Amino acid sequence: MRGNAVSESPRPLEESPDEALYRPIEQTGPGFYWAAAGLLAIFFFGAYQYLRQFSLGLGVTGMNQPVTWGFYIINFVFFIGISHAGTLISAILRLNQAEWRRPITRMAEVITAIVLLIGGLHPIIDLGRPDRALNIFMWGRLQSPLLWDVMSITAYLAASTVYLYVPMIPDIAKLRDRGTRPRWLYEFLSWNWQGTPRQHQVLSRAMNLLMVLVIPVAVSVHTVISYIFAMTLEAGWHSTIFGPYFVAGAIFSGIACLMVVMIVFRKVYHFEAYLKEVHFANLAKLMLVMAVVWFYLTFSEYLTGFFGQEPAELDVIMYKFTGPYAFPFWLMVFLNFIVPVAILSRKRTRTIPWILVVSLGIVVGMWLERLIIVVPSLAVPYVPFPSHPYWPSLAEISIFAAAIAAFCLGFMAFAKFFPLISIWEIEEGRESAIRETSARIASYLPDDPEPSASDEEAVPEGAK
Amino acid sequence: MIYHKWITALQFLSIMLMWSFAAAILIFIPWLVAVSLRWNDALNWTLAISLVMTPVYLTVAGTLTYVFIGLRRGAPKDGDQ
Repeated sequence: MRGNAVSESPRPLEESPDEALYRPIEQTGPGFYWAAAGLLAIFFFGAYQYLRQFSLGLGVTGMNQPVTWGFYIINFVFFIGISHAGTLISAILRLNQAEWRRPITRMAEVITAIVLLIGGLHPIIDLGRPDRALNIFMWGRLQSPLLWDVMSITAYLAASTVYLYVPMIPDIAKLRDRGTRPRWLYEFLSWNWQGTPRQHQVLSRAMNLLMVLVIPVAVSVHTVISYIFAMTLEAGWHSTIFGPYFVAGAIFSGIACLMVVMIVFRKVYHFEAYLKEVHFANLAKLMLVMAVVWFYLTFSEYLTGFFGQEPAELDVIMYKFTGPYAFPFWLMVFLNFIVPVAILSRKRTRTIPWILVVSLGIVVGMWLERLIIVVPSLAVPYVPFPSHPYWPSLAEISIFAAAIAAFCLGFMAFAKFFPLISIWEIEEGRESAIRETSARIASYLPDDPEPSASDEEAVPEGAK
Repeated sequence: MIYHKWITALQFLSIMLMWSFAAAILIFIPWLVAVSLRWNDALNWTLAISLVMTPVYLTVAGTLTYVFIGLRRGAPKDGDQ
């Protein structure tokens, strides 16, 4: 196998200034295949463990009585939270016409589509008998928050897949025109795009509509996920602020995951000219704000529980603060609040290597937060019942690893066929962003008052 | 050209698939309302959730169709420069 160019496509005579963005699609090195092979091995081991669970039952997991929700539900909430990276951030930045969004939005949208698919499968894995998921279609009860979840996640997946696809059409047409293989795929997906003014108008209208649609859907998805917990009367779950708490946590972990992906792919595909320090610095500021918001909501959540002194609530809180879950709890606070505030609030440390450290910490910290929410409330039941500590089994750990491998594989597969950075939006930015932004800024400024005759008379003689 | 006809047929099929998905959801929701009626369950909740969810799927399918038709109509005709 040759090192640099394994598959090559015919090139147009005129080279694009954004050749670097086509390179991951048109040139595949051995590193890609090695990475894919390693990830596939992890994925297949997880698939084998799932088949083993399917044949032997949920007894192969670490779940027990009373802890009947473990890794699978934790990962479900975690992955759906990560999905907020994409469409929500991308839609908000697009809606605000933030010019620095251009190289970021595509990656963010891809994350959403992939993790939603992965996260959405976890409740079915948790069922043990996946065929029972079909009961939803026959006997579902729409007043159950579990079915709200099914509906909202399906709606979010549909909306964000369309929101990912529609802005990709001009780039797919570029690949079609370059003769990149497989040609039939690009011809099929480009939907006859020729770049006419009428087509631009259609695309712009559709994107505006989707932006407006996707923001409330994204917010509702994680609110609805919080309702799975908040609608119960379980100590530690029955909370009125769980909706915003989950949404804030989801945006927080989403930005962190986006940062990790951006830094990794910037390095691997040499996107340094596109993903600049300023993009990371801007997102880091957003992440810092979310760290503070997250801490405020966490503090509020525990303060109200603690202040009430209700025995069942206190048992769960102390289980987290000083009991078996004290280490993950305080590690979560350290990774989600202390480290981001200490590092990101100083301009000197707001650099890419430090941002990577903070982002990885937040991803881990937010996973711990999901663990802290799901397990302790079940481990400390209302009724007198012996509490068993929950430890995940090999099956759960390997299925989690397989889910992460599936995410990486999905992202790599996407990068192999489609540009990770929106080429047409970069071109559009070069051509018109400075002019349009200047005009927009001019429109914000107060109008110059017309000098009237009386003003001219009022000017002192010496000042003329 | 047969190749282009196949591509066009696939594109129409993809739009039909999107509408089939939306239609499946739109059939599923009244079915759930019927189940709640039969079991004398919380009908008001069921109707409220249905009213929120239905427009989302219709908007997504409608937008995709608008883009599909709009791009076809906006493309230069044969012979256009």
